[in-house]
Amino acid sequence: MSKELIRLRDLCMAYDDELVLDHLNLYINDKEFLTLLGPSGCGKSTTLRIIGGFTAPLSGDVLFDGVRINDVPPYKRQINTVFQKYALFPHLNVFENIAFGLRMQRRPDPADPRRKTKLPEEEIRSRVLEMLEAVSLKGFENRRTDALSGGQQQRVAIARALVNRPKVLLLDEPLGALDLKLRKDMQIELKRIQQQVGITFIYVTHDQEEALTMSDTIVVMDKGTIQQIGTPEDIYNEPKNAFVADFIGESNIIDGVMVRDKLVQMYGRQFPCLDGGFAENEAVDVVIRPEDIDIVPVEQGQLTGVVTNVTFKGMQYDIIVDFRGFKWLIQTTDHSPVGARIGIKIDPDGIHVMKKSRYSGMYGDYSSFSDEYDELDTVEPEEGGDET
Amino acid sequence: MALVFLFLYAPILLLIVFSFNKGNSNIVWTGFSLDWYQSLFQNRLIMQSVYTTLLVSLLATAIATAAGTFAAIGFYSLRRRPRAVLNTVNSIPMMNADIVTGVAMCLFFVAFFTFWGDFSAWFNSVQSVVVLPERLTLGFGTLLIAHVTFNIPYVILSVGPKLRQMDRNLVDAAQDLGCTWMQAFWKVILPEIKPGIASGALTAFTMSVDDFIISYFTAGSSSSTLAMTIYGMTKKRVTPEINAVSTLLFATVLALLVVVNLREARAERSGRERRPSSAARRFLDSPRGKWAGRAAAGVLTACFLVSVTLLAKATNAQPVVNVCSWGEYIDEDLITQFEEETGIIVNYQTAESNEALYSLLKSGAGDYDVIVPSDYMISQLIEEDMLAELDYSLIPNYELIDQRFKGLTYDPQERYTVPYAWGTVGIIYNETMVEEPITSWSALFDGRYAGNVLMFRNSRDAMATALSYLGYSLNTTDEAELREAFRLLRDAKNRGVYQSFVMDEIFQKLEGGNAAVGVYYAGDYLTMLENNEDLRFVVPEEGSNWFMDAMCVLKEAPHYEEAMAWINFIASTEANLANMDYIWYASPNREALEQYPAYYEELYGEELDQETYDIIAAPTEVLERCEAYLVLPLETRKLYNDLWTELGI
Repeated sequence: MSKELIRLRDLCMAYDDELVLDHLNLYINDKEFLTLLGPSGCGKSTTLRIIGGFTAPLSGDVLFDGVRINDVPPYKRQINTVFQKYALFPHLNVFENIAFGLRMQRRPDPADPRRKTKLPEEEIRSRVLEMLEAVSLKGFENRRTDALSGGQQQRVAIARALVNRPKVLLLDEPLGALDLKLRKDMQIELKRIQQQVGITFIYVTHDQEEALTMSDTIVVMDKGTIQQIGTPEDIYNEPKNAFVADFIGESNIIDGVMVRDKLVQMYGRQFPCLDGGFAENEAVDVVIRPEDIDIVPVEQGQLTGVVTNVTFKGMQYDIIVDFRGFKWLIQTTDHSPVGARIGIKIDPDGIHVMKKSRYSGMYGDYSSFSDEYDELDTVEPEEGGDET
Repeated sequence: MALVFLFLYAPILLLIVFSFNKGNSNIVWTGFSLDWYQSLFQNRLIMQSVYTTLLVSLLATAIATAAGTFAAIGFYSLRRRPRAVLNTVNSIPMMNADIVTGVAMCLFFVAFFTFWGDFSAWFNSVQSVVVLPERLTLGFGTLLIAHVTFNIPYVILSVGPKLRQMDRNLVDAAQDLGCTWMQAFWKVILPEIKPGIASGALTAFTMSVDDFIISYFTAGSSSSTLAMTIYGMTKKRVTPEINAVSTLLFATVLALLVVVNLREARAERSGRERRPSSAARRFLDSPRGKWAGRAAAGVLTACFLVSVTLLAKATNAQPVVNVCSWGEYIDEDLITQFEEETGIIVNYQTAESNEALYSLLKSGAGDYDVIVPSDYMISQLIEEDMLAELDYSLIPNYELIDQRFKGLTYDPQERYTVPYAWGTVGIIYNETMVEEPITSWSALFDGRYAGNVLMFRNSRDAMATALSYLGYSLNTTDEAELREAFRLLRDAKNRGVYQSFVMDEIFQKLEGGNAAVGVYYAGDYLTMLENNEDLRFVVPEEGSNWFMDAMCVLKEAPHYEEAMAWINFIASTEANLANMDYIWYASPNREALEQYPAYYEELYGEELDQETYDIIAAPTEVLERCEAYLVLPLETRKLYNDLWTELGI
């Protein structure tokens, strides 16, 4: 296991009396690709800015390699950042943008260690060109940054940060401004770069798919608190509460009662499951992913309901089914017409049981699906300037 | 559309055209010449004020640009609501009437000086290590502060949008890459907002050069900007010299505006395209070029600072005298001559009228040594104990003043004044437009020249013509007499006798033959005669007003001895001759009065005819039927005011 590099201890932050971070605790390992995931205003960007040193927390500590760095200004931290919309310097060309950090660097003069000197021009040049090659922008050094495409600007921003050989790279929604296709390519590209340079990436996004694709670890945040930390698989398969279940992928969340270990009761019926460790007859939230539900003839179904809506999605149909007033989303390759009565069957490993939380009852119902469901597919607006 | 532009530009065009006129008229074109531009550059007063204007504008622009830029950055870092509030607060001074700003600043400075006087007196009394000056006055310093103050909002206004356009993360990015905040400012913010700063600075500079009203209230007696000097010059009449300087000012401001607009247009156009870099640009961008550029900027700054300090030193070390007189009321060579002879620097300012001078003194803003008010104003100033007694032992030339002009009613004991110049009021008429030579005030009242008569547009002079005609004293306080004189004026006005009520507009009207008869000052008649030979002048048989302007020294004048030296110099025969020739008002100096015809002949190679001489310096028999103004009691002044209002000019 790699060693711990950054630790956030009891961080609190507020803007205008509104709590943005609420006693946040987190550690980040060396060479880890960690994603802070959450909706707008969840505090993920603020966390990133505190790590970068652009914002000071109200209380709590930031430790780097075991040393408290709260009062270390950003220009002295071994951390570099790729900003939202890249923040390239418009008055400099690509080469000078990337060279900016190197030109600011001073190191002891080999001839006289008490004095500091600038980096030699040849070294700057070779490092910038090397970096340009690494981000596939060879030959672009004399271009103006505003003459580049979004993806190219993106790569300049990454090169500008990485050329300083930081121990940690912070990325604040770096792909938000790109179109879908480019975003997918860049996800792979970023992961490749991270593995190539072998440093810690801390990545902020509201896009769950991005998080699942790239991360070693995902930190799901909401309202200034961490909801769950885990690998993408953990987060998806074992969401801790209704918020996580809903935010990552699609979920039907149903009130249930844990009859005993490996047996949960919904709609007055008992379903075998794989979860345990609850009290007898404890009220729980049950998560059932839309793809884990099989449609069967009515007589074979564990439950029966009426199809109220069908949407063709290419690979599958999204069907909304009414089970006694509570609407489920089911993804299936079989077509069922609206109004049809169908039965469903859920395998034990398709059922995930969670403790009740303050999010219980807020998510997982597709009654108002036309609004909520559509929204999930669209990119959220970027976080407001004031929050970041 | 075309009409709108005609209205907008025709006056300016006319002004520009006549700045190239050979003659000194603004109506009659007599040929092209650059004489007025030449005389402009030889005009000491103007060149001095050009220097003041440039210095104050440059300094104010530099300070305001720096302060405004940082203020804008401060605004920008605020959250939305307080920023909006501050932006509004910032724009109020720009919308505010200049006159309000000017008066407010003047009052503020004067109040502060009073407070400072008390404080420094106390401070100097409790310790003697540091001696603070106790007397502060309006001057270049206050002028500069005022200009910086009214310039800052313009800089903020033009830098603000550039900051808002800037990606908020740029500063973070720079800091992230190793910059301290200051380095980020120089390396990232500054290049981004440079266009905004430049256009802010240009706007500020234009505003500074342009400003008249605020300068007028804050410059005090020792500094005068170009706009103030032009204004002072127009008091007498608009000479083509003023046209010339106004043309230059217009051209300067126009050039600045064009530069500002071109910059903006170019900035918009070049949004995305890459500008081809010139060789010079490339040199300046290379490390060596950058170094050279910085060195050049450093040298320039150093030169500027050194010249400013030297100037400040020079003005501090040398003795000074502050003089306030009327526009076009001195031969300026005399100032240079005096400075060369004595080493005393003369700050020569002008006021608009006796009343304006009076209010300036009362507000505490006029920090003069020597003033040149008229007779009745002198009485008032003496009455209010505002004048210092003169030390006549330091003014030997006082002996040369003609006995007739000593011990006059305003200063019967000869303690406060030395006469400067005198003249008479009379009727000016166009020979070709009247049936017979005019000799009586009746021409102004009886309707013979109805619709062709120009009357004074000030109550004292206008009433004086009527009082003279009726045979009453010009200084009467008898209400019945005054009401009778008023009725005379009112009836004539109602019968349409007067074409208009005028002051300096009379020059244009009479010179252009637009009116037949007018009433004005003798010296000014001679100026008009140069442009229209048909004009004649007469002091009516009933009598008239004769006036005397005399030099006085204010109580607590900071440069009393220098003031004595100046008065003595001006009272000399040589100075009086030069002045008499320049302003065409009569000298009170006995020798100068006698020698003027010879002086004239020597200067111009032709004889001065007796008639002209008598108009400049009215002979005793004319003077005997004239009367000088005395200060009127408050009640009578109020009656004048009421009657004048009733007349409804």
